Amino acid sequence: MAGHIYIGEVLENEEIQEDCFLMKIRVASSFENPVPGQFVMIRIAGLHEPFLSRPISIYSFTRHEIYCTMELFYRVVGKGTQILAGLIEGSQLEINGPLGNGFDVSSVKKKVVFISGGIGIAPLSMLIETLRMRENFSSSEMVMYPGFQSISAVVGLERMNKLCRDVHVCTDDGTIGEKGFVTQIFKKDLEIFKPEETSMFACGPRGMIKALANVLNPSNFNCQVSLEERMACGTGACMGCVVAIKDEKGTLNYKRVCTDGPVFKLNDIIWDET
Amino acid sequence: MKTKSSPDIAVKIGRLKLKNPVMTASGTFGYGEEYAGYIDLDNLGAIVVKGLSLKPRLGNPPPRIMETTGGMLNAVGLQNIGVDAFIDEKLPFLRQYSTAVVANIYGETYDEYKKVAQRLSAAKGVHALEVNISCPNVKNGGLSFGCDPEIAARVTRVVKNETSLPVIVKLTPNVTDITAIALAVEKAGADAISLINTLTGMSVDLKTRKPHLKNITGGLSGPAIKPVALRMVWQVVQRVSVPVIGIGGIMTPEDALEFLVVGAKAVQIGTANFINPLVTMEIVEGIKDYLIDGKIKDVNKIIGTFQP
Repeated sequence: MAGHIYIGEVLENEEIQEDCFLMKIRVASSFENPVPGQFVMIRIAGLHEPFLSRPISIYSFTRHEIYCTMELFYRVVGKGTQILAGLIEGSQLEINGPLGNGFDVSSVKKKVVFISGGIGIAPLSMLIETLRMRENFSSSEMVMYPGFQSISAVVGLERMNKLCRDVHVCTDDGTIGEKGFVTQIFKKDLEIFKPEETSMFACGPRGMIKALANVLNPSNFNCQVSLEERMACGTGACMGCVVAIKDEKGTLNYKRVCTDGPVFKLNDIIWDET
Repeated sequence: MKTKSSPDIAVKIGRLKLKNPVMTASGTFGYGEEYAGYIDLDNLGAIVVKGLSLKPRLGNPPPRIMETTGGMLNAVGLQNIGVDAFIDEKLPFLRQYSTAVVANIYGETYDEYKKVAQRLSAAKGVHALEVNISCPNVKNGGLSFGCDPEIAARVTRVVKNETSLPVIVKLTPNVTDITAIALAVEKAGADAISLINTLTGMSVDLKTRKPHLKNITGGLSGPAIKPVALRMVWQVVQRVSVPVIGIGGIMTPEDALEFLVVGAKAVQIGTANFINPLVTMEIVEGIKDYLIDGKIKDVNKIIGTFQP
């Protein structure tokens, strides 16, 4: 699924929490409906600083009569996102998207578990919404484990609570919800879930995904994870955003997060490549 | 409105005929198909594909890229599917287009360069070879072939002996005197010379005091290197008589025109494709506009018209 280049107009760009921004953008109605887990490469139109576009996952997408709106949830982590955070209403963006392979919802089992770290809640929100609306999942079949560093970093919960009844919030410092890393909290519940009737989806920092791999190893859970890497092109050309992935024979291959991912099977990721 | 007649923008790199002087640079345009959804590949001067080796290459472990001021560092390490898979899986797609296909080739030994050249010469749909003797990110071959005039000449001869296709040799800027290498490969039979590949650089993460790239060093590309590239192209065109292709940090039509004016017959667009997949088409159109504005009927009329 190849992207296309659009000019987007910033409608809102609001700081929801410290360093966490929700940007609403208007794009042309020709923008293809994104699949949950897909992303866009965005840059400020006409500006070459920062040099590279920034990959940001799509939080929501709405088709209106003559245009579309898209929400991007992002955390200020460096120069690029710092500049994005300064954009005001009416600013123009160059948007390449939708890009990448989103979550595969073709064979979701009857119980669905979602695990997120920080801003990783964004693509999962869109996924849950899609499952609820399109696939007719009831909220009682879904369990969400959103983890944050602290109460001051909590984002996206309002929407999550509307979509999913069973939300187990946790924070590293215990300022809200249960205290502990989300993977530890989830591990305590692990025996409730059976691999043959459970699908899992996760998104978060690399360390969290790695910890999740350890929690689930050596079980047979089908867990799809969305990964993040520094990216130059987003279209599969630069080979810059690779991660180590096992192929069918078990040998290491470097796969592109942009076009082979960003969603991968957790079991296929090799964590200690040399 | 008065209709303007479109200027002639076709150029020749020796025997290689291009519809226009805008080529894509190896490693920045995949195997062409990655950009086919964005632009009409038929409107390019040439497509230079990702560097091909005899066997598939895994490439370097990540992180492989880092943004820098006015550019980026990369240490991809020539990850590629290998020459045979290219011929079987990628070339049929490219044959649908009328645009010249240039296969960039890489070897760790003279014999590997020879075998890759042999296979591509026997394949249908390859119009020229570009010999990569300048990759800074691989431990064997690549750069080491490009830093010594005698070795660079020998690689050129090895490839020339295996092919009847035009042979372009791509030079590294990471040498003391690039004209010495250019003269050596010209004497060895190179049909054209392309330059520059990336400049070796590095970047440090101050939180961890580790390099941003796993490979520690990487190749710098982007607008930051354009003045260096332009200077080197100018130096080389004064010394050689074979056609020269200018590469390095070209982002705009004006950048491309500067290279043509100093004497490059064509240009390659690299890193700019990453941030704007439409950039090659914008550059083709911008060159046309410049010619129309200057009432110049043929792009060849501006090549080498530099007034120092």
